[in-house]
Amino acid sequence: MKFLTKINRRYLISLTSILIIISIAGYFILNIVLENELQEDISEQEYAIIQEIKSSGNLPNIFPNIETRRIAKKELNGKTVTKIWLMDKSEGETEPFMEYSNSLEINHEYYLIIIRHSMVDRQDLILAIALPLIALLIIAFIISYFTSRKLNKSVWKDFERNLNEIESFRLSNNMPLELKSSNIEEFERLNSVINKMGEKLNKEYSSLKEFTENASHEIQTPISIALLNLEELLQSGLNEQSMKQIVSAINSLKRLSSLNQSLILLTKIENKQFGQESEIDIGEIINSKKAELLPMLESKKIKVKLMVINSFKANIDPRLADILIGNLMLNAIKHNVSNGTIDIEIRANEFKICNSGNDNPFSNKDIFNRFTKNKADSFGLGLAIAKKICETNKLEIGYSKNHLHCFVIKHTL
Amino acid sequence: MKVLIIEDEIELLIVISNYLTKEKYVCVLAENFAKAREKLSIYEYDIILLDIGLPDGNGLKLIDTIKKYNHYAGLIIISAKNSLDDKISGLDKGADDYMTKPFQLSELNSRIRALLRRRQLDSSNTLTFNELTIDALAKTLIINGQEIKLTKKEYDMILYFVINKNRVLTKEAIAEHLWDDNIDLADSYDFIYTHLNNIRRKIKNAGGTDYITTIYGMGYKFTDQ
Repeated sequence: MKFLTKINRRYLISLTSILIIISIAGYFILNIVLENELQEDISEQEYAIIQEIKSSGNLPNIFPNIETRRIAKKELNGKTVTKIWLMDKSEGETEPFMEYSNSLEINHEYYLIIIRHSMVDRQDLILAIALPLIALLIIAFIISYFTSRKLNKSVWKDFERNLNEIESFRLSNNMPLELKSSNIEEFERLNSVINKMGEKLNKEYSSLKEFTENASHEIQTPISIALLNLEELLQSGLNEQSMKQIVSAINSLKRLSSLNQSLILLTKIENKQFGQESEIDIGEIINSKKAELLPMLESKKIKVKLMVINSFKANIDPRLADILIGNLMLNAIKHNVSNGTIDIEIRANEFKICNSGNDNPFSNKDIFNRFTKNKADSFGLGLAIAKKICETNKLEIGYSKNHLHCFVIKHTL
Repeated sequence: MKVLIIEDEIELLIVISNYLTKEKYVCVLAENFAKAREKLSIYEYDIILLDIGLPDGNGLKLIDTIKKYNHYAGLIIISAKNSLDDKISGLDKGADDYMTKPFQLSELNSRIRALLRRRQLDSSNTLTFNELTIDALAKTLIINGQEIKLTKKEYDMILYFVINKNRVLTKEAIAEHLWDDNIDLADSYDFIYTHLNNIRRKIKNAGGTDYITTIYGMGYKFTDQ
């Protein structure tokens, strides 16, 4: 659940419950207030009636509100308050009344005084007071709900923006984390912590990168020394056994060195150290690679069929384009059979390099993984490099096999 | 021919200079930036091998000094970095060639000879081995006064053999010389064999001797011994 949703939900729930509690409490308070008011009214009326009886001996009677009559002494009954239903003649229906009756002695005579108040009036009054009040409250709550929601949104906007920034942060991009500063203290604290962390990460990452690169380069020098010495040893007229061992050592060292170079290349592509992009016509690169690899094609008697329906253009560093096409073509030669074919098809939105060859156990998913190979003499890095080049240049590479092994490259949508 | 080798790895320096001395070059050694500067200002050289990864200063900066004192020297840069940027800036500054570690001595010799030919420091434009003569200007092979038609790769191959005569050359070294980086293909060594057979046939047809000896199936040696 989003923070804002949660806050808003909580806010709504608490507002509703507060509203209900206030309404109920308001009802009771109003009731008590009105009750008191009624008591006072009744006392005043009673007092006025008693005064009237005392001064003039008149018995005021206003049906249904006031009733007075003389009673016998034995009927003296004290004060009672009851609720009764009476027919209201003006409205023609029975209505609830609050009936207050008191029997008392005035100037040695006994009287019964009944005062009635319509409860309908009172309920009407309560409603008349409560309804607008509740309506006002609801309106106030709605307004405050929406204002606070809007306020929250604006307060959290910077947070949201920074969150997106952190989400899109990639160490390999070599871009510093740029968080928008906020005037809210807590957010500012969070920002500064994250900024510091980002800086540290970037620093450590680049130093690690540098270290890897330097280490990889430094490896080449001892390999060189070993290779040159072995090469000289090879000239010293040894027997077949010794020479075989030396050549095997030389070849292993060369493999080590070229593995190292491939890994450096992969790292460099990952680190985006090739940045001189320009619009490259892939067809041209394929043609020049084809010429370059012609002797190998001839030695394996592989036929290349190149079909250009439209030119495929990509925005890519020419060195990377060269490596990409080179790796794909070498792959197509390497895993081909004698007298095989390589079919190349270039369209405006994709190009395909397909080769004949034996079956392999690889799927589209794992064929591009590093060190995936089915020949002992390869490293399984060529296609990993090709994929990495595609990934960093808004291209998409896929592999499929039916009777041919096909690599398709498209622009990423 | 006088060669100045600037390389901070003493071991490497020794192997290279031993080899080049055997190949009749006069070698002068410098193992750091300061020594290289000093030696550059005192003598003149025909060829300078420069490792640009010197510990006490980027070797690329030495190129200016080289251009100042040894304008005529051919300059080959050696670097542990396969970095294209280094390569480009090195060549831009006036280096003649660029070699990446690890390299082979036979390859180094070929590059030096090619450079000497380009700079026309070689006394003649021809290389002779008994009845075989290579005309480096016309890029042809002549046997007993008769010109042999060779493809470009065949010519490159025979030139490589003659320059590195009496040396065991592995198939891998030959392949690397002919195809640069593209040769991590084990099964393509077959085409070296094909090319080699073509050369042998052409030389024999012209009445020449086949000097190419196979060494235990691992490599070849161009020799008359």
